[in-house]
Amino acid sequence: MRIQLTVNGLGYERDCAEHRTLLRFLREDLGLMGTKEGCGMGECGACTVIMNGRAVNSCMVLAVEADGATIRTIEGEADGPSLSDIQKAFERNHAVQCGFCTAGMVMSVKELLSEHPKPSADQVKEAIEGNFCRCTGYTQIVEAVLDLTGSPEKKGELEHV
Amino acid sequence: MVYEFRYLAPRTAAELAAVLDGHKDDGKLLAGGTDLIPSIRNGIMKPKVVIDLKKYSGADRLSYGADGLSIGPAVTINDILRSKDARERYPVLCDCAHELASHQIRNRATVAGNVVNASPCSDMAPALLCLGAKAVIRSATGERVVPFSQFFAGVKKTVLAPGEFLSAIVVPAESAGARGRYLKLKRIAGHDLGIVGVLMTRRDGELRFAVSSAAPTPVLVDSVTVKDSADEAARKVLASVSPISDVRGTKEYREHMIGVYARRLFTEVK
Ligand code: FES
Ligand code: FES
Repeated sequence: MRIQLTVNGLGYERDCAEHRTLLRFLREDLGLMGTKEGCGMGECGACTVIMNGRAVNSCMVLAVEADGATIRTIEGEADGPSLSDIQKAFERNHAVQCGFCTAGMVMSVKELLSEHPKPSADQVKEAIEGNFCRCTGYTQIVEAVLDLTGSPEKKGELEHV
Repeated sequence: MVYEFRYLAPRTAAELAAVLDGHKDDGKLLAGGTDLIPSIRNGIMKPKVVIDLKKYSGADRLSYGADGLSIGPAVTINDILRSKDARERYPVLCDCAHELASHQIRNRATVAGNVVNASPCSDMAPALLCLGAKAVIRSATGERVVPFSQFFAGVKKTVLAPGEFLSAIVVPAESAGARGRYLKLKRIAGHDLGIVGVLMTRRDGELRFAVSSAAPTPVLVDSVTVKDSADEAARKVLASVSPISDVRGTKEYREHMIGVYARRLFTEVK
């Protein structure tokens, strides 16, 4: 099926097999390898992208379902060599170790901040509850978001996330 | 995915009904895809045709009117949580919606899909049962309305016949304002199916319980009255369920926790 979609502000028109997932389409057809496949079945969140303003698991979306959609992926974050504010906050707070979860984490955080510019620690935790991180223990990720947004609860209570 | 299928996206409800009628044996409806796509990937389901119901106009309609809250088949769990009508009039619906899976899944998974799958651990079924909701079922030949108390037919089975689809869920206006709370036992927020879930609602002195993950289908219990003690309430709830032992928990553990939750809710939901 012929599909048309916008990814990080660029329009694409491609022929796409009907059983292809959006994740595979982004990685293999468009060459946008930043989005990762962890489990391939909706558990880990490594494949999170923003579709029409909402964070979704791209491993559970068919590319043909995204016909006409507007997609944001991790490649749309940095502007050349300069990282986005969310990426900088992750870097400052050591919220990245192996980095496998990071593309998905950043996308989940991006959707959260579009709706709640000053989230509470609980709102941050809920926004990333569908994103597994096997390295950081999550604390630094929550701190990175609260550092970025200047939310009041930055210190304290986070020690035992 | 290696497995290949055809994809169809009808543009009207009538067209959807006709397409579904033509693929009674080899077609599968696609709503949020959070069950269907992993099932196809894992080889559990092998439809020849996948029929997307999100693309017809009106599929994502969520509106409140004289009949109550009408929920189209493409309305997602997060659409419910973002709806002012749902939050203000049916807080119990939101309580259950909030317990369902992770944020990304709530952005895709639909209310209709959650009940059509008829999993015993459905999180939306308890709310729809307690609120007296009805399923509007459509096919190429017409429409019928079935209350959710008669909708589930067994593990992963509903009264939907081949060629039929759930075209709307209606939560009646009379149930608006029901107070309640859903307690779901799970290990990790956002990543677990419930071990058991108990919802209790109270409206004008009328009490209702609904239990998930404790019988072949979600169960409604409407025999508890305000005159009962907390222990009697728990006994009535337990008498209506038949939990089994599986990887998530034993029968005994489930029974114990259903009792704990029923007593706690009976005392706390005022
Ligand atoms: S790869 Fe999509 S959720 Fe894990
Ligand atoms: S940084 Fe390694 S999984 Fe999160």
